[in-house]
Amino acid sequence: MDTLIRDRSPLTFHDIDPAPKPRIAIRNLEFFYGNTRALKGIDLDLPENRVTAFIGPSGCGKSTLLRVLNRMYDLYPNQTATGEVLLDGKNILAKGTDLNRLRTKVGMVFQKPTPFPMTIHENIAFGLRLMGTAKSEIDDRIEAALRGAALWEEVKDKLQASGQSLSGGQQQRLCIARTIAVEPEVILLDEPASALDPISTGKIEETIHQLKESFTIAIVTHNMQQASRVSDRTAFMYLGELIEAGETAQIFTRPREERTSDYITGRFG
Amino acid sequence: MSVVTEFEAGPRAANPAARSDRVFGTLTFAAAVVVLLTLLGVFVSLAMGAWPAFQHFGASFLVTAKWNPVTDRFGALAPLYGTVVTSVIAMLIAVPVGLGIAIFLTETCPRILRRPLGIAIELLAGIPSIIYGIWGLFVFAPFMQSVVQPALIDTLGQVPLIGTLFSGAPYGIGMLTAGLILAIMVLPFIASLARDIFLTVPDMLRESAYGLGMTRWEVNRHIVIPHVRTALVGGIMLSLGRALGETMAVTFVIGNAHRISASILQPGTTISAAIANEFTEATTPLYTASLIALGLVLFILTFIVLAAAQFLLRRMKQKSGV
Repeated sequence: MDTLIRDRSPLTFHDIDPAPKPRIAIRNLEFFYGNTRALKGIDLDLPENRVTAFIGPSGCGKSTLLRVLNRMYDLYPNQTATGEVLLDGKNILAKGTDLNRLRTKVGMVFQKPTPFPMTIHENIAFGLRLMGTAKSEIDDRIEAALRGAALWEEVKDKLQASGQSLSGGQQQRLCIARTIAVEPEVILLDEPASALDPISTGKIEETIHQLKESFTIAIVTHNMQQASRVSDRTAFMYLGELIEAGETAQIFTRPREERTSDYITGRFG
Repeated sequence: MSVVTEFEAGPRAANPAARSDRVFGTLTFAAAVVVLLTLLGVFVSLAMGAWPAFQHFGASFLVTAKWNPVTDRFGALAPLYGTVVTSVIAMLIAVPVGLGIAIFLTETCPRILRRPLGIAIELLAGIPSIIYGIWGLFVFAPFMQSVVQPALIDTLGQVPLIGTLFSGAPYGIGMLTAGLILAIMVLPFIASLARDIFLTVPDMLRESAYGLGMTRWEVNRHIVIPHVRTALVGGIMLSLGRALGETMAVTFVIGNAHRISASILQPGTTISAAIANEFTEATTPLYTASLIALGLVLFILTFIVLAAAQFLLRRMKQKSGV
């Protein structure tokens, strides 16, 4: 248990800019794959209606951190998290948390597009029906979600086509539409543009800009330019630790830690 | 066989790699041709062997239930009926249970149990059918006779409409018993095929379904199974093919009676059981030809099943808009 001794990283957003209210508060989060400690005493707030970007070299734990926020890790044996993740003041890591409800509140978009094996219409209607949305509302909600994901104009005439028949970029925006249709509070994006061409990436980034008006967003990215373009705040992680977090502009221009500046300038990672 | 292009005739043709590629291509083509030739050969020899029977009885061979070696009257309807009924019973039981096992193994099974259970299923698939036959006759059929069938007759047998399915005396052996044995035999096939198929579903697709707040049932029912439906239907059809053609175990427990009964508790026969049972007794040329004609019917039945599967898949694809 020695490894569990708190090594709280020194900075949280509160120290820098206390302005927006945190939607998610992570407190002393530790994560284990079996016996391997993948996250070490993470403390971080994700402020409401802001985009928080997680950057860091591969294996630093940023995707792992994201998967804790909707407890996706729970699907797999031997993966455990300790500490606290407070969503609206409630610890989602607590036993007895309703995972299905949690995941409707914390939506996720993955590295690769994952359209369901059904029509475009059904891909979105499915989640809505799970939420108990009235039949009369479903078509309107689908249109709103597709507009929100900047996909409506491209698919409005072929809603009955298979979701899997779309191009990669369109599929990813369909996945975003599917996620926002059920109106979660938080959206997790795990390298959402890593499999896409620059034009599709641009569209996704535009979409993210619009989404933050209604949602709290966390995005993992390997692309430094992307992080600086889309995020308000950036957290730099390294070897399972949160090295530094703050305003994106500050992180990219005046990082406090040498490791952060080394990574941003491309000296390692 | 193929047109020689300028490119193939050019300097690249001198390259040994290109030559070996052509040899490789020819070899794989030859392997594919062997399959077609075998299929054609089986069909032709069955058709030739069955010819006297069809010449004698005509199309009525297919719709006649009589099978009388003494008077040389033969019809395929009874064994055809038995084959279809036992296979349907087997699939009705084995498909849901097999899918259940596969989903349990890929989703909820604790990791320590996963390998032992997987091995147990494969062992079950490895048991020779004669063992199932003996077990069916000496253990399972008496159990059916003393416990299951009387209970069925007293309960479902009294229900209007479906009551006739479960009427008559409890013989132990019969079409239901044969169907159940078949279900046990194809179950491991369906389970292990379905497990391998479910494992091909990308984790990310599963996770994105869970990410929308779906329950395990919803994820498997609406995402996992539709995602792999093509492979799944293929696997189920393979198992159905096995059930249709299974001989030994069925011969032991079906009762080998050439008759059509509405009740599935009654004895019947299947095509393969009839052939296995009677080939040594077939004394007249017409008898032998009739048995071979049965084989041809089974061959065509299997073909129809496969064709129906293809049709079904195409319909499903159209419906889901793929």
